[in-house]
Amino acid sequence: MDGKIKLPQIIITAFMLALFVLAGFLGMDIPELVSGSFTKFVMNGVLVLAMIPMINAGVGMNFGLPVGIVAGLLGMCMAIQFRMTGITGFLGAVALSVIPAVLLGLLYAKILNMVKGKEDIAAIFIGYSFIPIMNFVWTVIPFTNREMLYPVGAKGLRPKISLENYFGNVLNELMVLKLGKISVPVGLLLAYAAVCLLVYGFFKTKGGTVMLAVGENEKFCQLSGIRIDRVRTMAIVLSTVIGAAGICVYAQTYGFVELYNAPLSHSFPAVSAILIGGCIGRRAKISHAVLGTYLYQTIYLLSAPIANAILIPQMSEIVRMIITNGIILYAFLKQERRRRQ
Amino acid sequence: MNLSLLFAIMRVAGSPCADIGTLLLRRRRIMGKYVLEVKNLEKYYGQNKVLDKVDLSVRKGEIYGLIGANGSGKSTLMNILFGNSVIAATGGYSGDVLFEGEKVKLRSTTEAIGRGIGMIYQEFMLIPEMTVAENIKLTRENTKGILGKVLSPELCFVDRKKDNEDAAGVLEQLGFEIDNSYLVKNISVNAKQFVEIAREVNKGDLKLLLLDEPTAVLGDEDAGKLMKVLKELAEKGTSVIFCTHRLHEICQVCDHVTVLRDGQVVSDYGRDELDMRTLARDMIGYDVAAVKKEHQNREEKEILKFEDFSVYMPGEFLDGLNLQVYEGEILGLTSLSGHGKLAVGYGVMGQFPVKGEFLYGGAGVDVKNVRKTIENGLFLLPDDRKNMGLLLEHSVRDNIVFSGFYGRNLFQKKAAGIFPVRDRKEMERCVEEQMEKLEIKCESAGQKVKELSGGNQQKVCIARAVLVAPKVLFVMEPTRGVDIGAKEKILNSLVQINREQGTTVVVASSELEELKRISDRIAVFCEGKLSRILPPDATDEEFAFAFTGEEGKDGR
Repeated sequence: MDGKIKLPQIIITAFMLALFVLAGFLGMDIPELVSGSFTKFVMNGVLVLAMIPMINAGVGMNFGLPVGIVAGLLGMCMAIQFRMTGITGFLGAVALSVIPAVLLGLLYAKILNMVKGKEDIAAIFIGYSFIPIMNFVWTVIPFTNREMLYPVGAKGLRPKISLENYFGNVLNELMVLKLGKISVPVGLLLAYAAVCLLVYGFFKTKGGTVMLAVGENEKFCQLSGIRIDRVRTMAIVLSTVIGAAGICVYAQTYGFVELYNAPLSHSFPAVSAILIGGCIGRRAKISHAVLGTYLYQTIYLLSAPIANAILIPQMSEIVRMIITNGIILYAFLKQERRRRQ
Repeated sequence: MNLSLLFAIMRVAGSPCADIGTLLLRRRRIMGKYVLEVKNLEKYYGQNKVLDKVDLSVRKGEIYGLIGANGSGKSTLMNILFGNSVIAATGGYSGDVLFEGEKVKLRSTTEAIGRGIGMIYQEFMLIPEMTVAENIKLTRENTKGILGKVLSPELCFVDRKKDNEDAAGVLEQLGFEIDNSYLVKNISVNAKQFVEIAREVNKGDLKLLLLDEPTAVLGDEDAGKLMKVLKELAEKGTSVIFCTHRLHEICQVCDHVTVLRDGQVVSDYGRDELDMRTLARDMIGYDVAAVKKEHQNREEKEILKFEDFSVYMPGEFLDGLNLQVYEGEILGLTSLSGHGKLAVGYGVMGQFPVKGEFLYGGAGVDVKNVRKTIENGLFLLPDDRKNMGLLLEHSVRDNIVFSGFYGRNLFQKKAAGIFPVRDRKEMERCVEEQMEKLEIKCESAGQKVKELSGGNQQKVCIARAVLVAPKVLFVMEPTRGVDIGAKEKILNSLVQINREQGTTVVVASSELEELKRISDRIAVFCEGKLSRILPPDATDEEFAFAFTGEEGKDGR
């Protein structure tokens, strides 16, 4: 936990570089892939940051990320309903998602505090059971903007809402710097850096430090008169809010708001990313999240076309599954081994 | 055995001594040969030496007493003899164990049971969802039907009727009446103990029975029954090793007693030499206190009051405590480990479920609300430093100020008149002061606590408590695992907190000698009950009896 880059990270970085070389041999457009890696990186980056408060407070991995994502989706739907556009539209969506995120986060926290010691598995099932409820909600929620509703019947939200007329790509197109053939989305990176800085700053405050202490030694904190459950609740709410903001960033890059079962597909990659970044156990740093997101997303970005080219089509999804789930399994094994020592 | 080999050689050689030799040999057999011999046994748990050159010899049909405080290595010894996998998993042991004259290295309990060794544990090894009879006959069930003969013995039908009869028979033999169709989870604690004993006694070929504190949960009457059963077993030729700290039981039944302390054999007594006083002294094993401090006579103004206060702490049960703590005193709490001294503080701090009343300054306290308790001026330093008393990954500075800053909102100043921010200057000053006063040895205040030695870590804990400035301070085992120099510093600082800040200090410790030096009164616990409150200058004998709770039976 001394922040040094360890062997697994070196191996994965080497693997990533090897993929770049291989892509070059296969005659792929390297500058485009590099540019793509930046967008992919920030697109998922904020969602990965949503892991940090919960891990640091000792609540475990935020497998219940769909809870935060749903809050973000609600915020974005409201923004579309109010026809907010451009950068204000995006910021409005984030602001509007904070209220549902706090409320859902409180509920999420209440459950997790009741299942101390088994938070990981409970969080997974909170995600799985919450989505069907929301599926029902999406179909009956009384939004009226025709662009969000099913074209036929004009009732219920459609699974994929286009952001083209609202705030799609607003951050991506903000201050794009051309370096030769590579285009660097400066605005997007700056926005990500700002969120990272906020989270980093939080862990320097009194509340943040207590959170770290609770994650390290609950008994100690309790004997110092700290209300453990309150600190944990704060961490979970914070994670949920960051998750909500994260999906807004994701959606504006992607160009669509994905409803219904889509939120479920984000939690494992996010967990996987922070683990690749080197977070093992109860201490997660911003550097883990940043490094992990870049490595994970870039490997995925590269392996998909390469696998498609030299193996069989549709290989990319299989590769993604192997990486995502394999890394989570590896991290659990590693954690267990540490505890035995 | 070397002796028999020698005689055999002599006989073959036609030596004139041969006949006498055979005669001698036979005589020894009648007296009972050694069933178990343990030679030079050593066992480490990590760096800790828990058994140090232990030698034992148990004859056939002998009841062998093994006494010692918790942590003296009794249970480890039992586990080695019973082939418990814990031993192999933690690196095995060195030395020899001879069972019936043959050198054995038991790797599993199955192997031990196969050789005719049985064990009754301190905690029950029973299956709660099964009936009494099923538990007694488990793995030795009677079977019926031909299915098993055709396929495999594992697939036989169990002959429940026969099992029940067997179980009833053995329970009757023990003189304990219980319907053996009850589920074990529904029967009382002492009934469970009897079921456990019945299971072992029912083994036909039992040669050696190990008992680890079997009477801890039994009342006097039931314990008496058990003693009777043990005697009967011994008469039939089963050897018994009996671990306990109830001295009168040892004196009642044992043919031979060995006292263990800190993993070493301290003394060894035959049946005729048994004396409770010497045993108690050997077991607790302290020297007479050398230094004594002046004790002030102060007004007895009550600050804490326990009324029928019970704490359900696993392994450290406190039962119905009635005690008053006076303002400004240092009260020592002591007992053998596991007998309740630690439960007092943890109960007050809401770490375990409690029953009864706890009053602070005359008002009832809700122990569940730890923050409120601390705000009211109570504070606790736990005995388990690494797991409860320190943030190992944090710096010395963070550890020292933590409780004051986060728990009690000290070290704050108002930035721009509104926002509370941490007062770094004041913090730094306090940390420096404490580090100097307690002589905490570290590279800097920024060094991680996990890199410090045990003594310095404990000083960090004390410094933390000093900065919280509580009215009542509970300290658990402040000198455990601490070198002598640091010990003095820690004891001194406790006295200082008491004298200078007027803090009432309640120290729970197993180091009686240290308690005698700093305390105004010492409360001794035994089996979860307050045994006696003694002045620090009471005689060793009085303490020894208070520790073992024997005074009532002795009429003293």
